[in-house]
Amino acid sequence: MSKQFNVPPVIFPSGPGGDSGGPSSAAQRHPMPPFQPRPAATNPIPFMSFDVGSVAQSASFSAPQLGPTITSANPNFDDEPPLLEELGINTKHIWSKTISILNPLRPNPNLQSDADLSGPFLFFLAFGLFQLLAGKFHFGILLGWATISAVFLYIVFNMLAGRNGGLDLYRCLSLIGYSMLPMVILSALSLFVPQGGPVILVIAAAFVVWSTRVCARLLVEAASWNEHPGLVAYACFLIYTLFSLLVIF
Amino acid sequence: MYNNVRKQAGMPRPPTNSQPNSFGNALYGTGSGLVGSGLGAYGEKLLGSSSEYVHSNVSRYFSDPQHYFQVNDHYVRNKLKVVLFPFLHKGHWTRTSEPVEGRLSYKPPIYDINAPDLYIPFMAFGTYVVLAGFSLGLQGKFSPEALNWLFIKGLLGWFLQVTLLKVTLLSLGSGEAPLLDVVAYAGYAFTGMCLAVLGSVIWGYSYYFLMPLTCLCMGIFLVRTMKRVLFAEVRSCDSSKLHYLLLCIALAQFPFFLWLGNIC
Repeated sequence: MSKQFNVPPVIFPSGPGGDSGGPSSAAQRHPMPPFQPRPAATNPIPFMSFDVGSVAQSASFSAPQLGPTITSANPNFDDEPPLLEELGINTKHIWSKTISILNPLRPNPNLQSDADLSGPFLFFLAFGLFQLLAGKFHFGILLGWATISAVFLYIVFNMLAGRNGGLDLYRCLSLIGYSMLPMVILSALSLFVPQGGPVILVIAAAFVVWSTRVCARLLVEAASWNEHPGLVAYACFLIYTLFSLLVIF
Repeated sequence: MYNNVRKQAGMPRPPTNSQPNSFGNALYGTGSGLVGSGLGAYGEKLLGSSSEYVHSNVSRYFSDPQHYFQVNDHYVRNKLKVVLFPFLHKGHWTRTSEPVEGRLSYKPPIYDINAPDLYIPFMAFGTYVVLAGFSLGLQGKFSPEALNWLFIKGLLGWFLQVTLLKVTLLSLGSGEAPLLDVVAYAGYAFTGMCLAVLGSVIWGYSYYFLMPLTCLCMGIFLVRTMKRVLFAEVRSCDSSKLHYLLLCIALAQFPFFLWLGNIC
């Protein structure tokens, strides 16, 4: 379904003064009232001003929608990297990180060495969607609580670790987000269990412990500081208990 | 500089802030500490390029926060025992001091059970918020907005407790205890409150005797601690005023706990 449109190229005649002397000479020669289109003769405005190579070819104005038919106008379009790669979302990596978290006993810390936020974003979105299925609209709450808990954990961890603490806020948020996976599973499970009963409490306790283990293990490895894991684990425990309250009640 | 002048003006008393060098190290040595770099950057921006001037002025209000996080498991466990059951503490209540660079300063919490720390208050506050949310949920009144309100109420309560202690210090001595010390002492109240809320979660009626018990314990703890802090500062022998103020602090714990601990 590729139609060929014969679009005549629109060419603005360049004025005698050229670009550099355009505005000032215009002001001298024609004191024009504002908001009136200036005569194109004095100042040809290039439409694709961000694409330096194609100022004159205004056919590029309509080129991107037509695809490869007019390639000379916008030479970089074919060579552009795919969207996900440009955004930095490495889906294979996200998947492998997710799989490693599913192992509650031994998460693989090397995978987490490069932090990214797209996995956590997906997890929070899934968490919010499962909550929505349960009739609770918590997206804003999730955003706020995730931010506050990340800042809290960042402060506590860096203060505890002292000089050896190499944790930055981005990685902290990334680790908290990845360790939310058990919480997402919990919220999915809670759809099938009566709300507020003892069953969901027991299940939630198990999942919170899972999340805490993973998060504490990953934190300690990420910042390469291993001295008081219990103290850091308690902070993670508080955070995940907070999120589990959203699920249980 | 300014610190030395102020120090020589008074009797030996707890230093207002840590040595500028350690604070400087904390500022510029901590890898990516938000607080350290934030304070440092803010100070530089405000007060110009002279780092000594920056340190002395910024550290006048905030002693080195890292000092309060030097804890370990052993300290945390024992300190919790001291805070929750102060009448069982057999040792003395004074902080051990060590001379560092010619000025008297106190040992960090890891070496001294009587030193205040900020880890326990932070964790106790978080535990209080979580437990209170849990208790609300068991009563069927949970909503995330309610939890947010609890958080803000808790912060407000902490702030009020800090002002109470600080006003006491100011009215008696010159109020030279570091601000973070006072914040830590005020935050210890949340441990007792956590215990009371936990009791109310487990069995409803236990709240009615756990609450006065924890109030009393917190009162005793604060009285003993403030007495030590004030004794180091009070110049004239105004002991009756001192005792009335200490009693006031202990009594003020009751409405404070009632306000924050009554989750219903």
